[in-house]
Amino acid sequence: MERVVNDFTINIATANGTGSQSANLILLQTLFDMGIPVSGKNLFPSNISGLPTWYIVRLSDLGYQAPGDRTHIQVLVNPATWDEDLAALEPGSVVIWNMDSKMEMNREDVISYPVPMTKIARGLNPKLARMIANVVYVGVIAELLGMDQEVLEASISKQFGGKAKAIELNSEAARLGRSYCAEELTKSDPYAVEARDVKEGGFFVEGNEAVALGSIFGGLQMLAWYPITPSSSVAEGIIGWLPKLRTHEDKATYAVLQAEDELASAGMIIGAGWAGARGMTATSGPGISLMQEFIGLAYFAEVPCVFWDVNRVGPSTGLPTRTQQGDLAMLYEGSHGDTQHIVFIPGTVEECFEFGWKVFDATERYQTPVFGFSDLDLGMNRWACHGFEYPDKPMDRGKVILTKEQMDSIENYGRYRDVDGDGIPYRTLPGSGLDPILYRGTGHDEDGAYSEKPDVYHKLMGRLKRKIDGARDELPAPVMREEEEMDIGIVFYGSMENTIEEIDDILETATGKKVSTCRVRALPLHSEVQAFIERHNTIIILEINRDGQLNGIMRKEYPNHLLNKMHSVAYSDGMPPRARLYAERIMEVLEEVGQ
Amino acid sequence: MSDKPARAIKLNVINEPKDSYTGGKSSLCPGCGHDQISSVIVNSAWENGIKPHRIAKMSGIGCSSKTPAYYLGQSHGFNTVHGRMPSVTTGANVVNKDLTYLGVSGDGDSASIGIGQLIHAIRRNVNMVYIVENNGVYGLTKGQYSATADVGSKKKKGLVNETQPIDLCAMAINLGCSFVARSFSGSKKQLTAIIKAAMSHKGFALIDVISPCVTFNNNDESLRSYGYVKDNQADLHSVGYIPHFSPLEQVEVPAGSYRDITLHDGSTMRLETISEEHDVSDAVAALSALHKADAERMHVMGLLYFDGEKPSLDDDLELHDTPIVEMGEDVLRPSAAQLDDVIASLRG
Repeated sequence: MERVVNDFTINIATANGTGSQSANLILLQTLFDMGIPVSGKNLFPSNISGLPTWYIVRLSDLGYQAPGDRTHIQVLVNPATWDEDLAALEPGSVVIWNMDSKMEMNREDVISYPVPMTKIARGLNPKLARMIANVVYVGVIAELLGMDQEVLEASISKQFGGKAKAIELNSEAARLGRSYCAEELTKSDPYAVEARDVKEGGFFVEGNEAVALGSIFGGLQMLAWYPITPSSSVAEGIIGWLPKLRTHEDKATYAVLQAEDELASAGMIIGAGWAGARGMTATSGPGISLMQEFIGLAYFAEVPCVFWDVNRVGPSTGLPTRTQQGDLAMLYEGSHGDTQHIVFIPGTVEECFEFGWKVFDATERYQTPVFGFSDLDLGMNRWACHGFEYPDKPMDRGKVILTKEQMDSIENYGRYRDVDGDGIPYRTLPGSGLDPILYRGTGHDEDGAYSEKPDVYHKLMGRLKRKIDGARDELPAPVMREEEEMDIGIVFYGSMENTIEEIDDILETATGKKVSTCRVRALPLHSEVQAFIERHNTIIILEINRDGQLNGIMRKEYPNHLLNKMHSVAYSDGMPPRARLYAERIMEVLEEVGQ
Repeated sequence: MSDKPARAIKLNVINEPKDSYTGGKSSLCPGCGHDQISSVIVNSAWENGIKPHRIAKMSGIGCSSKTPAYYLGQSHGFNTVHGRMPSVTTGANVVNKDLTYLGVSGDGDSASIGIGQLIHAIRRNVNMVYIVENNGVYGLTKGQYSATADVGSKKKKGLVNETQPIDLCAMAINLGCSFVARSFSGSKKQLTAIIKAAMSHKGFALIDVISPCVTFNNNDESLRSYGYVKDNQADLHSVGYIPHFSPLEQVEVPAGSYRDITLHDGSTMRLETISEEHDVSDAVAALSALHKADAERMHVMGLLYFDGEKPSLDDDLELHDTPIVEMGEDVLRPSAAQLDDVIASLRG
């Protein structure tokens, strides 16, 4: 039997709220600390306790981060999904199963490793048996695959940060799992791990925590939020880090408000922006839906404010704990009437941090609502990270008039007058005593006074469009990996970054063609995106949604001669994107268009 | 050159003329109660000697919410969206706690679409004055009943209202609002004293002002018409206000019994007893006064409830003395060394 090293997928089926998350993170951390490229996906239910949860660990020396095409090693702990999980396995798969679950192992074409997980755990600590049974299977996996015991114990102590009793108990559970495996089971599967060179300084972090930290280093002054999966950990991350990072003379230099709903969160950050501060909220699609009226107010009255949307599956309540890129169009054109918004789209945890601070500079520079667009996959899963870069420029507070001298130097000042020709007016702040106005969501002239005059309205809307258009090439440029052929180009965005390399490899293997890629990182679209499309013969616009929302935006904005070569590949089933599934759809489209 | 000496312009305690507190021309119907309230706001801010640029005037949507254009032209303001002025004010307030926030709303804005935000602003005890210009009807959309219309009241056109109203004062008292008063746009003296006191209070001050709609709801069958309110108002006390910059001992002591309430900025609210004593610190007495008046189809007026000790939102947040909005990058952006520490702790 040929050994399969560092290239397989483990699927662990447990029930929500049983402590399995800690065990799974210990497994992930151990592999990571052995230098093995590994990714973890938590598929959890919208539930506090009891419903099925799966954790998918993929090891890949090639560095692939998407969930693999199939499960190679299945851990069965949860009776509720036992039969279903078992039935889904390909012949020859490995099954590590809990003998104490009163469930049957009725497949003979798999490699079966029965383990009395509950009994072992109960022997150690009857009260906590349910929790530590999870660490028993980690021990079994460690022994089967040949994981380093020292690294495993270091991960356990990292997971239980300083709690000596928990560390001791869980380490012992892992050791018992290991020795059961060594003494009672005979290894008959090909899977093994081998340590690789550990990249110095790497660590695991969730996208949401990276956004939280980026916001704080962006000088966040006010956070207003309403709890909603999968964005809550952005706010909780901020709340956790703020006291450590932003206490001055023992007092707070920030305000955090847990609002009564998303409408109020939006109102609060608009109030903060109007007063001259950096306010932000974190929410998901349903929250953005509720905020629509306020988004239009901030756009029309030109008030800085930041919204992070960690996308979950819509429409409506949808699949609250699954991932999608279904909110992009709503963010770009949020609220009634003609609007257009700046959207930052990180694809990695490093960018979550970077865009976390950059969005504040953009919102104050352009005096308009700015969105950060992440998703559940990027936001709530742990990703390998090699560090965050400290902001490379000072905070840009935009065109704010702070002194009488500044005011006097502007001829014919008006809050909404385009003095510099870039569509961005100057503003004064409440309390400053400088040229006050009554901000309003109603039609207004260049001085901010109420107006319904046709030419005043038309000119205002034209200036707002010019203002946002002017941001295009100031926003993060696309990341392009171009092949000499300049034949097929894939345009994509966000968390698809973590699957694209594998898609690219599958396409090349299957078709022999080299494919260029272009990752869009902001809306409105950078001019480089159009240039990429111009350079290539066939363009695929790849998205994790049903309708091809970026495709729609591009078709609306791009000239006719580009439209025929642009083709949408959009697919969403709630799962993090699996490479083969998307690659096959791309190939279908390429075939249709004669490529 | 005229020989006639210029008439001395009257200045307030900070040497500002009243003109510094006025606004644009009203576009409301002639005789609207709201315009009376606007003029009381101008007088109150002027007489209290608040720097006009240190006031922030906030509103939602509706006839009432248009009025910030008609007063305090030297103050920044925000005419927000329908029913959502409380959240915008809350956000501004926590980043700049040192401004005087003056919110004006209507009964549609506060008792229907925005009742949730009003409730939560009260619950947080946001430091602001919140005036409801309450006429029982929607004006801008041409006279539909609002949620405060009294049972048995009839507007100019249409049927008698049979739906139970929401009494915003009773609601606020039940929520523990720190300052609850009711007045009438036609009672200029009382309303002025109450608004001045509310400006001197730290915390959420709800002032429910009956403000007749002359176009849709000022007929005799309406319980919110000028005629009806004038004939059926039950004053709890007579309300006086002595600003912190006027020595209290120089103010004439009333002949009858009275009670002084010291406000946050050192000013005094003087309540002169009319008949039986109303204890403003007794929420049950306040609710009972409201229910009694309601049963008699009367409008009870005056300071219903007061709690000067309750911490306001900015106290709860333990904010630095310097308003957040005035802090610079040196305070707002942690250092590169701090980022190194963060990363080290993530590495574990």
